[in-house]
Amino acid sequence: MTQREHPRVSWLTKKILFFGGKGGVGKTTSATATAMLAAQRGRKTLLVSTDPAHNTADILERKVGRVEQLLDDNLWGLEIDSEQAASEYIDEVSKNLRNRVKPNLRSEIDRQLEMARISPGAEEAALFDRIAGLVERVENTYDMIIFDTAPTGHTLRLLSLPEMMETWIDGLISRRKQVNEMSALWRNLTLHEGAEHPDDPVERVLIERKRKFTRMRRLFLDRATTAFVFVLNPERLPILETNKAVALLEKYRIPIGGMVINRVLPTDIPDHPFFTSRKEQEQVYLGDIETRFKRFPRVTLPLLDRDVVGREPLSRIVECLDSVM
Amino acid sequence: MPEAVAVVPWVRKLLPTRVNNRLPVSMNDDDTRSIPEKLRDGWHTFNEIYDGVFFAPYRSAVARERRDKEELFMLLCFSDMIGIPNPVNYYTLELLPYMYEKFHEWHLRQGMDHSPLDGFKCC
Repeated sequence: MTQREHPRVSWLTKKILFFGGKGGVGKTTSATATAMLAAQRGRKTLLVSTDPAHNTADILERKVGRVEQLLDDNLWGLEIDSEQAASEYIDEVSKNLRNRVKPNLRSEIDRQLEMARISPGAEEAALFDRIAGLVERVENTYDMIIFDTAPTGHTLRLLSLPEMMETWIDGLISRRKQVNEMSALWRNLTLHEGAEHPDDPVERVLIERKRKFTRMRRLFLDRATTAFVFVLNPERLPILETNKAVALLEKYRIPIGGMVINRVLPTDIPDHPFFTSRKEQEQVYLGDIETRFKRFPRVTLPLLDRDVVGREPLSRIVECLDSVM
Repeated sequence: MPEAVAVVPWVRKLLPTRVNNRLPVSMNDDDTRSIPEKLRDGWHTFNEIYDGVFFAPYRSAVARERRDKEELFMLLCFSDMIGIPNPVNYYTLELLPYMYEKFHEWHLRQGMDHSPLDGFKCC
């Protein structure tokens, strides 16, 4: 059942693993099985689902909450609710703001923040914030964090965020510094006592943000720490999508750990025109994968006779992974 | 920005600090001050004049420059509210509490009694 033609892959030596790919190719299955394997090998592992359409719980046939919870020995699970995360953040801003404005304006403020809550990008930024928070804990609390991400486009944008945000925040910081320099000059000119540079909360908040982005970007780009694993099926569209995504990740210099080729037909299929034809077609796609993604480590997972739902089929997938990792 | 202002910080160190933001200037006939007091007050008077001649002209320029920079910064942070996309809008939201008052000052200065922005009311 398992195929050993590929060299052993080193995903389990990483601290942060992302599983991405086209919708429905088996990202959750691969991520969950890898997390189970890591946990079995004694690594404290956190499995995080960032896809708004969470299905970790469906695969494991048990509830996975909005807060980290123990699923198994050494294995914790979490489903990030980006909508809720954005709401919490905006509530926090609203709370800070309420103390500073006239009471009659509070409903106005709430209306204003309500728009921010539903504005494009808010959930994405909130999700990003949550990921940043988790990643910062990778050394202390967990040995490894595995992200089961949303379909490709969504995730690629998310991973390209730190760079863009950092540049933008940088611009804001330098502008703010200019403001503060002028304020210092003003204080000198007016000969007020204590012309010292007072702490500027705006600059402080911005610098703290930048620090977070920088650290996150450094972690994401570090080959020893992070790897992005693509999951695909031997079919036309997943191959094309993966190909595009590989180019994008390389552009952002995010390390690619390799590919999981999921749902490969078994070799001992009955001699029936339907199956033979399918197998032939699959061989073409497998060849295509071989040529396109030669330079990456690959893991092949078989199509099972049943859906991968629940412990037993999952453990079969874990076995397959165990033999190559 | 005039270069002369750059020397302000160190010139400033040579000068006495204001007391209650006022320099005493008095030269009355029934002056009962001692010689050292007179000297000190004379020095203050000199400083007042010195300040008026050398610093006061720059004050308005610096104040204007500072305001301009502050307003540009505000615009960059909250451009989303006037329809200019700001990719970090989500993160600049948390600056809002610190900048509310400045925004209020700005629209008053522009001659508008109330905030001109629908999404940003402060009074």
